[in-house]
Order: sequence, then C-alpha cells, then structure tokens
Amino acid sequence: MSRLVLKFENAVLKEVPLGTSPVTIGRAPDNDIHIDNLAVSNYHARVYVEAGSLVIEDLNSLNGSFLNDIRVERAMLKDGDAILIGKHEILVDQTHDAATPAAEEIRRAPAPRVDETMVLDTHQRRKLLEMAVAAGERSQLSPERARIPTLTVSRGRTDQKEYRIAGKLTVIGASEMATVRIRGWFTPEVAAQINKHEDGYYLGRGDRVPKINGVSIHGLTKLNDGDVIDVGRVRLNFVYRD
Amino acid sequence: MRTPLHIQAGARTDLGRVRKNNEDCYSIESSLQLYVLSDGMGGEAHGEVASQLAVQTVLTHCRQAENSRATPIFGEPNPEISERTNRLASAIHLANRKVFEAAASNPEQMGMGATIVAAWIDGQKLSLAHVGDSRAYLLRGSSMDQLTADHSLVAEKVRIGILTPQEADASEMQSVLTRAVGTNGTVQVDTDEQLLLVGDFVLLCSDGLTRMVTDPEIASTLLTSASAQESADRLVELANENGGADNVTVIVLHVIEKSESVFQRLKIWKRNSG
Repeated sequence: MSRLVLKFENAVLKEVPLGTSPVTIGRAPDNDIHIDNLAVSNYHARVYVEAGSLVIEDLNSLNGSFLNDIRVERAMLKDGDAILIGKHEILVDQTHDAATPAAEEIRRAPAPRVDETMVLDTHQRRKLLEMAVAAGERSQLSPERARIPTLTVSRGRTDQKEYRIAGKLTVIGASEMATVRIRGWFTPEVAAQINKHEDGYYLGRGDRVPKINGVSIHGLTKLNDGDVIDVGRVRLNFVYRD
Repeated sequence: MRTPLHIQAGARTDLGRVRKNNEDCYSIESSLQLYVLSDGMGGEAHGEVASQLAVQTVLTHCRQAENSRATPIFGEPNPEISERTNRLASAIHLANRKVFEAAASNPEQMGMGATIVAAWIDGQKLSLAHVGDSRAYLLRGSSMDQLTADHSLVAEKVRIGILTPQEADASEMQSVLTRAVGTNGTVQVDTDEQLLLVGDFVLLCSDGLTRMVTDPEIASTLLTSASAQESADRLVELANENGGADNVTVIVLHVIEKSESVFQRLKIWKRNSG
C-alpha cells in the first residue's frame, strides 16, 4: 500500500498510509502529519488522489512546500519523491510489495519513538564530537582557554589589587567566602559572583546588579577579555593573562 | 554578620496527561538539605527502576559520607570545587555504576538509564551536580538563570553554534540525550556552585516542566506563591494545563531566614524591586 514517510535528520518519525481521504500536513495538532516546528504553517499542505494520480497541494504556506528541491504549489507525485516542509522530509512510498528494498530500509531502521527519551549511540556521539571540534576550530576558542583569567581593581577598596580566578565560583563581596573582598560599611556579603562554565566565565548578580562596560546585566552574562565590571563602587577589569 | 539561612522546600511529581507510568522520581533529605530529582528512561517499567535506583544511591552515598569521612570517592575529584560538591559528583558516579550494573545483569532492563540533578546546601553554599536534561534554575531578584547545561543533542548543537535556540525548541530531537546515568560504564558529571542569598529560589525540574511552561511563567509562579509547596503544586498544574505531555517533577527551594528583621525584609524588598 502507498504511504507517506515523515523523516527528520534521517530518522523516521511517522508513516501515514494513503487512502481515499486527503492527508493533511501542518503545525496544528489536528493534521494527519503534525510537524511541531515554527517553520511550518498551521495547515501547510495536503496530499490526495485526484483522477488516479497522487497530488501535493501547498495551502498558501508561508515557507512553501518543496518537491525534489523545487518549490511547488501543486504537483503530481510519484514513487520515491521527496517533499521538503521546513526541515522535515516526507517521502512518497508507492511500492506495493512489502519485500522491496525501499520498504526493507524502513524496517531496518525502526522509527524511534521521538516522545521517548533515548541516549545517542556511539556513532551519533562521534559525529557530534566531530562537529564540535570543527565549530571550536572556527571560533578559535582554544587560545583563550590556555590563558589565566584575572580581575584587576581600578577603583574602590578591596583586599588585593589583582586576583587570579582559579575555582569554579568566585564571590565578590564582604563575605569571608569571597575571593574579591570589598571593604567598607554596607557592603553586601555577596555583591556579585563569577561562575566558570565549560565555555567561559559568567558574571551573575548577588545583592547588587553589576554592570559590564556600563550596562547592567540581565541574568548570567558571559565575560569577554577586557570587560570592565562595576560592582557598587568597585571597578574590576576582566583580562585573560598569559 | 552572617545571616542564618533556612531552606523551605516543596516538591511534587505527576504522571502528566499522556504517559501511562511515572518514570520520574525525587527525594528530599531535609536533615542534610539534600535534594535529588531523576527522570528515568527505558520503556516498560524500567525507567522507574533506573530513576529510583539513581536517587536512592545518591542519598545513601551522601548520608554515608556525612557519617564517615572514609567513604570512598567515585570518579576523579575536581580541585576547582569544594569537597562537598565533589562528594555529590561522586554519588552520581556511583549511581551510574549501580544502574549500569543492574541493566547489564538483567537483559530486560538493557538500555535503561536516567537523568539526574542534585542540590546540596551547606550554610550559604549550594552544590549542584547533574547529568542529562533535568535542570536547576536560580531565581534571584527578578532574573532567573538556568544553572545547568542540558546534555541533549539539541542543546549541545546550540552550544557549538550549529542550531539556534528557536530551532532547538521546535526540534523533534529534544528527547535525544548525549549523557545519561546508567547507559555507559562511566559518565561525565557536571557541577556548579553558588552562594545563596535570602530570597533566592532554586528550582530543580524534569523536562516535563520546561517543555510545557515558559521561563517567565515559572518565575512569576515562584514569586507569587505563598509557599514553596504551593509553587511546586502550581507549576505541575501549569504543565498539565499546557498539555502535560510528559511526567513532570519539581522541587522548589526558597531561601528564607528563620526570623526576618524589618531591616532584612526591607533589603529583600529593595533587591526584588530593583
């Protein structure tokens, strides 16, 4: 029997048999093929049989329907055609015999139940790692990593003039747990704090909302080499040193 | 002068509106101020087995370590974090081993695993450790930050810059994890530390919450509830009202003082309004 096979990144997500009634495709949940992606219109397209031929019709969608990479409004479909909607691919499978190679391929790669949590297999993990390495090379993250982040005090009363950031958590304030001890009355225990994440150092608020380069932060904010941090009356320069 | 902190905790887990069994699990150990949440996976009832075993192992290991400093450490200690945070990571390494061994010795449970997020509070200091896509948030003043980085395929892709956050939110691949407890012989555990302030909220949750409820909705629920338990109840209700597509579990921690002076209340009010 003919069917449409919904795929995303080579994973089969759904198979819909083609019968006499049209198959609707879109972001709204009442579609036969429901694709929950913002690039897909609520009622994006439909596939139906007309005069013995299978037809796709785009329903004036915003981002279009593509048949074998060509944008179509209405087109006839044949076995093996690939419809692209957003980033999802819908394959037309009109092979009548279940033992044909196309059907076998689908059986060999059983549809993962996407609503169920699963863990990447080794092959997928290796692929991701390769992509991460490539992305890392592009952004040249590595030179910054080898250097030591430091805070130098250019204004205000602190216990030292310069601090090397060593741990995961660096507290700025009057607390005895603070790395950067600010002196003076009314200094909060924790005025601000810096957390080390995998990709760098992030400044967060404490009892004060610190500024980076004159702008108050909203939530955890990544620090860049040369940033000027203001916490109350104290000014710190964040610099990566060799 | 240090103000003594008190942690008000509330928690709730729920099946959601779609699933047939609850594979989430949580535990609160008030005497230790230790809070652990886990989301199991593996089909049938095995996800439940994995999450319960993971939570139990973390609690037992931390309890033992409190009683005896000689309790062995599992995994490589990290010199950048405190002894206590290392202990929490050690507990997750042990949980990983236990779940992995259970799965290996029982063919039916092959492939079972779990996410985990654990918080341990000592005085002012919050230790966090996690694996998978269960999250920890800190709400301070009016800004809420996610303290954990999801170990999911889409989140890792966003971090390396090959997927936008919008694409990630719309992706069908949100359930694909890059790390989990019990699916491999060893696991990499992420840790974080924070100094807590009076008025802070710490939220631990499974993805059943964050896929159904937006960050601003979460923040306003925390800020407008009368107690941590009410927050937890309302968050679960919100997730269900928005579809309840998955099991949902939340632990809400509110940092308060045992007795707040007028001066302290004024300080918190000032922080929350500024």
